[in-house]
Amino acid sequence: MKDQQLVRGLVLIAIALGFGIPSSTYQVGTFSRAGPGLFPLLISGVVGSIGLVMLIRSRLEKSPPLTFKVKNILIVLAALVGFVVIAEHFKVALAVVYLVFVASLAGSDYSIRRNLKICVVLFAFAYAFHAFLGLSLSLF
Amino acid sequence: MEVLHNLAFGFEHALTLQNLMYCAIGCVVGTLVGLLPGLGPLSTISLLLPLTYSIPTGGALIMLAGIYYGAQYGDSVSAITMKIPHASSIVACIDGYQMTLNGRTGLALFSAGVSSFIGGTVAIVVLSTLAPLLGELAFLFGPADYCALMLLGFLCVSFVTTGGHMLNGLAMALIGVLLGTIGTDVNSGAQRFTFDQPFLADGVGLISVALGCFGIAEIVKNLDNRSQFTPFSGKIHLLPTWAEFKRIIPSALRGSTVGSLLGLLPGGGPTLAQFGAYALEKRFSKHREEIGKGAIEGVAGQAAADEAAARTSFIPLMSIGIPENAVMALMLAAFIVKGIQPGPNMIGQHPDLFWGLVASMWIGNCFLLILNVPMVRYLLSVFKIPYAALFPSILFFCCIGTFSVNNNLDDIYITAVFGLLGYIFLRLDLEPAPLILGFILGPMLEENFRRALLLSRGNFATFVSRPISATLVALMAAFVIWQIVAYVRQTRVSVAA
Repeated sequence: MKDQQLVRGLVLIAIALGFGIPSSTYQVGTFSRAGPGLFPLLISGVVGSIGLVMLIRSRLEKSPPLTFKVKNILIVLAALVGFVVIAEHFKVALAVVYLVFVASLAGSDYSIRRNLKICVVLFAFAYAFHAFLGLSLSLF
Repeated sequence: MEVLHNLAFGFEHALTLQNLMYCAIGCVVGTLVGLLPGLGPLSTISLLLPLTYSIPTGGALIMLAGIYYGAQYGDSVSAITMKIPHASSIVACIDGYQMTLNGRTGLALFSAGVSSFIGGTVAIVVLSTLAPLLGELAFLFGPADYCALMLLGFLCVSFVTTGGHMLNGLAMALIGVLLGTIGTDVNSGAQRFTFDQPFLADGVGLISVALGCFGIAEIVKNLDNRSQFTPFSGKIHLLPTWAEFKRIIPSALRGSTVGSLLGLLPGGGPTLAQFGAYALEKRFSKHREEIGKGAIEGVAGQAAADEAAARTSFIPLMSIGIPENAVMALMLAAFIVKGIQPGPNMIGQHPDLFWGLVASMWIGNCFLLILNVPMVRYLLSVFKIPYAALFPSILFFCCIGTFSVNNNLDDIYITAVFGLLGYIFLRLDLEPAPLILGFILGPMLEENFRRALLLSRGNFATFVSRPISATLVALMAAFVIWQIVAYVRQTRVSVAA
């Protein structure tokens, strides 16, 4: 596995470049009359330097390895994206069922009966939000 | 006497039936959600923040405050009974859980409850006297001073939340600032980092960032860890003997004082206060040899400090307008959504809100004491819900919360993106709390930074020539130097070893 400190430094530098390069194309202006690009450019400079310090430190000292488990985050993201797609094109109720059944794949055990129970509870919540708090998300 | 008059005025506003209800709901819901494993005050507030959008201003703020200290209390309960360490209740795990092992759970919970009440009461006295005074002081603050104060806040929060890896926290705060620049620049009207996407023109929504980082990322982290908690099933005998009760009071008073003070500092708040109070008890308590082995003092002192700091940390927010930690940053966002700019003018312009909120804190205190302490055994039954059933529901509430801000389902995509980002950050050991603070303060920081330089005609000396900002900059420099020295020493030791 990759060194955590090293990856952290690289991610920070990537973020700094991601914000720094576009902001240098905006009007930078002078310090006395700052343009829209000045402040983000400064801040991304600092973030980039912190990233560099971390890169250097990763050569000097040992840091814990990076542990990145892909499975759970992918399941959760799939559940969320699917929820939006189904809620927009079909019914919200269907989206809730999808969310529960897909998301619980990431859990330690899988039980269809429990999932159905959760759906019923969530329906009740969604109905209550719609009816009493004026949320404009109707189940059907 | 003016304070008493003001407090009476506040109680008049807080004691309406509606506001009482909001306060009670906030306390109970906050405690319940705070009890759940993996949900600390930050996640609880981010989850429940959208719910308050449809409530009138005064009630919404009262409810949010209730949610906050309710969550704080719920956290300490789960720490005492099951040693579930949240960021905000690490100290409660030490003696509190030890007492549970000794079969004295009820006593620990009672001490925590009573001490919280004492801490909260002391803090309210501090709050109602100090906030107006500090508000006067805030009129002296210029743009450069605000800048320096915010930067000092970033440094302190980074230090406190990351447990010494300050650079990680600082990077997160600054990434937050960068995320805050997305959207239309207020001064020039230029679009920044929007990639010509209209939905980014107003910037990224706070709720998306907060729910992504504290809701979704935390859920996935808990799923990865697969930690199963066995629900607490022991007997709870709440009432102490008179001798035990007498031991609570002095510790609670000491804790309240320390907590009130530490709650005021930039980066301060409950976590710092608990450690401070615990250290104090270890040194000055009559029973100091018992601390660490399940002493009442070890629970009482930190619980009082915890609640006291949770309340006094409102002072910088409401009098100067600068939140000192991530929770207060979320509160600031809630104020702004309601069209109120906290700051020196707030007490004058919205006395009903300010004093109502202060009074409601004391009422919330009473609710916690009379409602939650006796009910604690019933509240604990939330642990019977398995996590596998809980997290799909939390995901659903994240969706609902995101949707409710703009009534737009597409916002959930943004939340999902921040969930992924938040997860990557967590895996890289980058704490998301400073990011939220940076994100909310970012626009204010930029505005004041540009204004300060405009006034000084581009001369950076303005940051060290004004007395307030010079002091703050000196503090920052001292802090940074101290960190570097500590780092060099530490590496030397490890090289030598």
